[in-house]
Amino acid sequence: MAPSSLDVLLKGSSGRNTRGLLRVIILVTIAAAAVSSRLFSVIRFESIIHEFDPWFNFRATKYLVENGFYSFWDWFDDRTWHPLGRVTGGTLYPGLMVTSGIIYHVLLLLTIPVDIRNVCVLLAPGFSGLTALAMYLLTSEMSTSPSAGLLAAAFMGITPGYISRSVAGSYDNEAIAIFLLVFTFYLWIKAVKNGSIMWGALTALFYGYMVSAWGGYVFITNLIPLHVFVLLCMGRYSSRVYISYTTWYALGTLGSMQIPFVGFLPIRNSDHMSALGVFGLIQLVAFADFIRSYLPGKQFQKLLTSMILLTVGLGLGGLVLLSVSGVIAPWSGRFYSLWDTGYAKVHIPIIASVSEHQPTAWPAFFFDLNFLIWLFPAGVFMCFQKLKDEHVFVVIYSVLASYFAGVMVRLMLTLTPIVCVAAALALSAILDNFLVASTPSPTAESKAKASTEDKSLRSTREPVVGIYSYLSKAVVTGSVTLYLLLFVAHCTWVTSNAYSSPSVVLASKLPDGSQFIIDDYREAYYWLRQNTPDNAKIMSWWDYGYQIGGMADRPTLVDNNTWNNTHIATVGKAMSSREEVSYPILRQHDVDYVLVVFGGLLGYSGDDLNKFLWMVRIAEGIWPDEVKERDYFTARGEYRVDEEATPAMKNSLMYKMSYHNYQSLFPAGQAMDRVRGTKLPKESPQLNTLEEAFTSENWIVRLYKVKDLDNLGRDHSHAVAFDKGLKRKRATKHKGPRVLRTE
Amino acid sequence: MRFFTATVLGLLAPSLCAATSLTTPSRLDLASNFKPPQVFKNTNLVRNTNLEKGYVRETINVVVENVDSQPQRDYYVPFPDEVFELVGGFEVRDKKAPEKGRFDVDATEAVSSSGNQYFVVHLPEPLAPKSQITLGISYSVLSSLSPLPATIGQADKQYLSYSFSAYTPSAYTTVTQKTKLKFPSTDVPDYTTTEGLKSGSDPERKGATYTYGPYDTAKVAPGTEYPVSVRYQFTKPVITVNLLERDLEVSHWGGNLATEERYWLRNNGSQLTNQFSRVDWTFTNYQKAPTSAVRELTYPLQPGSVDPYFVDDIGNVSTSRYRPSKGKNNANLELKPRYPIFGGWNYSFKIGWNNELSSFLRRAAGVDSDSYVLKVPLIEGPKMAEGIQYERVVVRVVLPEGSHNVRFETLEGANSNGLPGANHISASLSSLQTYMDTLGRTTLTLEVDSLTDEARDATIVVTYDHTMFDALRKPFTLFAGMVTVFVAAWGVGKIDISIKKR
Repeated sequence: MAPSSLDVLLKGSSGRNTRGLLRVIILVTIAAAAVSSRLFSVIRFESIIHEFDPWFNFRATKYLVENGFYSFWDWFDDRTWHPLGRVTGGTLYPGLMVTSGIIYHVLLLLTIPVDIRNVCVLLAPGFSGLTALAMYLLTSEMSTSPSAGLLAAAFMGITPGYISRSVAGSYDNEAIAIFLLVFTFYLWIKAVKNGSIMWGALTALFYGYMVSAWGGYVFITNLIPLHVFVLLCMGRYSSRVYISYTTWYALGTLGSMQIPFVGFLPIRNSDHMSALGVFGLIQLVAFADFIRSYLPGKQFQKLLTSMILLTVGLGLGGLVLLSVSGVIAPWSGRFYSLWDTGYAKVHIPIIASVSEHQPTAWPAFFFDLNFLIWLFPAGVFMCFQKLKDEHVFVVIYSVLASYFAGVMVRLMLTLTPIVCVAAALALSAILDNFLVASTPSPTAESKAKASTEDKSLRSTREPVVGIYSYLSKAVVTGSVTLYLLLFVAHCTWVTSNAYSSPSVVLASKLPDGSQFIIDDYREAYYWLRQNTPDNAKIMSWWDYGYQIGGMADRPTLVDNNTWNNTHIATVGKAMSSREEVSYPILRQHDVDYVLVVFGGLLGYSGDDLNKFLWMVRIAEGIWPDEVKERDYFTARGEYRVDEEATPAMKNSLMYKMSYHNYQSLFPAGQAMDRVRGTKLPKESPQLNTLEEAFTSENWIVRLYKVKDLDNLGRDHSHAVAFDKGLKRKRATKHKGPRVLRTE
Repeated sequence: MRFFTATVLGLLAPSLCAATSLTTPSRLDLASNFKPPQVFKNTNLVRNTNLEKGYVRETINVVVENVDSQPQRDYYVPFPDEVFELVGGFEVRDKKAPEKGRFDVDATEAVSSSGNQYFVVHLPEPLAPKSQITLGISYSVLSSLSPLPATIGQADKQYLSYSFSAYTPSAYTTVTQKTKLKFPSTDVPDYTTTEGLKSGSDPERKGATYTYGPYDTAKVAPGTEYPVSVRYQFTKPVITVNLLERDLEVSHWGGNLATEERYWLRNNGSQLTNQFSRVDWTFTNYQKAPTSAVRELTYPLQPGSVDPYFVDDIGNVSTSRYRPSKGKNNANLELKPRYPIFGGWNYSFKIGWNNELSSFLRRAAGVDSDSYVLKVPLIEGPKMAEGIQYERVVVRVVLPEGSHNVRFETLEGANSNGLPGANHISASLSSLQTYMDTLGRTTLTLEVDSLTDEARDATIVVTYDHTMFDALRKPFTLFAGMVTVFVAAWGVGKIDISIKKR
């Protein structure tokens, strides 16, 4: 019987005590390293919430802290999705906000004054420290080697695949979800090993927490049943599996249904059906097992086969029937895109337009996992060698997660833990064998092996003797050390360069090497916050919705929640249409200000003109007759913004807002767009229905105020032409100008 | 465990001692038909109105004679009640002996019959009949300058207009008087020329100084007005701080004085006719042309100030610079708001820094004394050529936990320090729980309305008692808390909850 990880820490004679103490110190150091390697952005910039989604989570947390739990639960947010509003309390995973809310209140109770923002910023690093510990526990369950757990914890602590989602300020659901994922799996393995209701219940408890925290809980919901299913298929049914699975399923499902956003999904959604199916199956198997003790073998076999066939047939039939009749919801769109990577682009452009939903490029695996990625197969192979119940779990997890990580960039996150486990198993096996200084004695080794490992595969039944040559020991140890050092260097480099930018604040270097901060987003958001009425509606592309809500504190039309495709398409249509079409849309939606992001002056490539085609595509999905993607490409199929841009492009609101008055910054005819690298037309486009309200220092954010109706009842274009002193064209009158219908 | 209870009881024992010098400003209630008794006569009155800053600063030097048969000591200074609330830093001294300090001044409620509100100046010694005294009355009037035109183009010059009465409002008959106006520049396109008040041209112009008068007003009844308005160029922001909250936190353990200030700032100048144009602003900035927008605020800090920060609601403002002090010079914090603040625009922000406590605090008389004296500036604030007006200032001095017997006073010099009299500063004591406090820290809150940046030099002195026991309270509490946790953990670990039999 191998000592369990907790026993190693807590029990034993003094020698083991020392080792236990060392282990604790190492683990604490690992956790500290995990936390501190995520603080690059805080040190370089400031304690700030990053990116887009975290701004919503932050805003929701502030709401929770200010208004209490119950009003958070019932929160109807009328400051987003104007004029629809959003039932925010029922459409989010509250785990993250509640966690930081609790931490905040505990600190307040100890009268430690802390800004809720700092709690939110540092939550992800804090939890990644815990993840490293959970990883240690999980890996220790897989291996008898004392070093495997520590290695896995260290890997998990600093691997970029996980850091990418958990740097300080990256206040997103994943921040706590990965800890919960790993810890739930640890508890599950513990439950399966011990067949204990307590561990099963704990698994369910943390599973419930996980459900409250991240939509990725479905991964657990399917992985655990799959594990059980495979165990059953391997003929490894035991009361341990039965007890742990039924406990987990019953309690976990009940727990997960407490989250309003999940509600009845666990019994109605196809994504959750495998868990229910396996739950039924295991009852049957248990029943069969019970019968077997009363029936002779031959008869029992027959009974069993027929029973299995019957139930599987019935179950499948019932499932299909219920799916067709609509009682069970069909698979969600994101789920389909997991199997067919082209699916989203065709059917749901809004999902495809998010970069983190793209398929993973192969170099990303090495980038995010470095040498772990080639140790990973070795570790999985070693699991095959032992293949106890927990090793089956590792194998299944590896296969599934590898596939998912290949399909979607962000699912690299679910792959990372198991890569760390497998790589640690492989590496600890190498180190355990090669780091032994003394020469092994063959007889002792073979005896020891023969006595313990009599049940495993044939290949391992051969006595493992060990390494005699000091040279090979030195070479292997040396190269492993080198790899480890390279790994640390790589992780630090990747974290520092790729994953530590807040993206709200852009940094560049001045010629003298000092840091220059481009703070245009906050400049414009703060201007909105200070100098516009409290309920001024801001229209922007959905990417900036959460940031406007969080930083400018103004109502928005659409945001990153993207729950209403039509509404987003409306905004897309307003942006991509001519002013005459857009203005009524703006008026109907009470829009006061329009925000566009323009990178032309600075060469900031993530601007709205580069996202413009997605707006067109999404608008085209709803109004195929009015917005056509083809119109925005030249006859030769080029996407151009210069003199030769198509009329649809030149007349679109987005184009006009981006380049309005831009030409006057340059000598005549010299205006350059530094993102698209083209020379612009001489004249800047004429805006009639909007007026420039604010432009940030580097022109990244431009705000336009929607003009009120003309006082004299004129068309806006006529009013502007009159102000400019142009003579009114007669011809337009005969044709009849487009009538502005506003209400 | 007994030790712990004893500690807790010990901690709760001392209570906050109410200090004696804490005040809330009160106003005298006058009868609705009140008229100041005509016991004085202003023999000669000279009013200097300074318009160089974003607010009006007036100094009135008046020779007052007692025309009554009794000695008199209450001199009334009237203001229309809508102006009264805007008057800040009202101070009266004996012009001949300013070093004797300011006279006691009381404010009154509005008198409904005349619509006036008064400052009652109590002369230190009653003025004997027929004798004279020269009073130097100084005050500033906030928010009394209105931009005209109210909206201008982004690069245009800004003009302010100021309306007042050519006859200085007074409760008493004035024999001769004149008003000197000091403008920021000679560009004064509009000003009222009076007729029939005196011979010769009125006003007399001399550079940027315009003089109305002298008038012979012995026959003019007190309270008569002759409205005059002037309009002058002021292409600078009219910086108004709607609210300034200033926290001074004293830490004996850390030897640190932490200052944090929160500003709600607004530019009360002309608003933009059109919307903001970045192109124009880029050119204005490039040419360093004068502008009505706030470009930058320069904040001199005391020498030795460290760790400054400049943040607003959404985080650090990256466009600031800190120039630490060299030698005895002040350090400079250059604050550039996120965007230029044009007329009608708001900007709120927060700044803070730390100082060595030893340069502000000392023990009162004797090394063993438990009494401490803290000497800190009441407000600091940015130093701008165009001046800053503060509509409301709330200063909190957070003293160490357990401080008691708190008193404060403002320091007076020979010159005006820009503050109103001590009885116009509202002071209160409260307690603030922070950083694992048990009792909470004694907090002295001072509230003043209508200040200007003249008060930058004003200093307050806070004295308080703080014993050794007070200082050791927190370590003891923490120790006791830790012991409790460990004992509890040990106790919980001892409980056997297993079901199976041993």
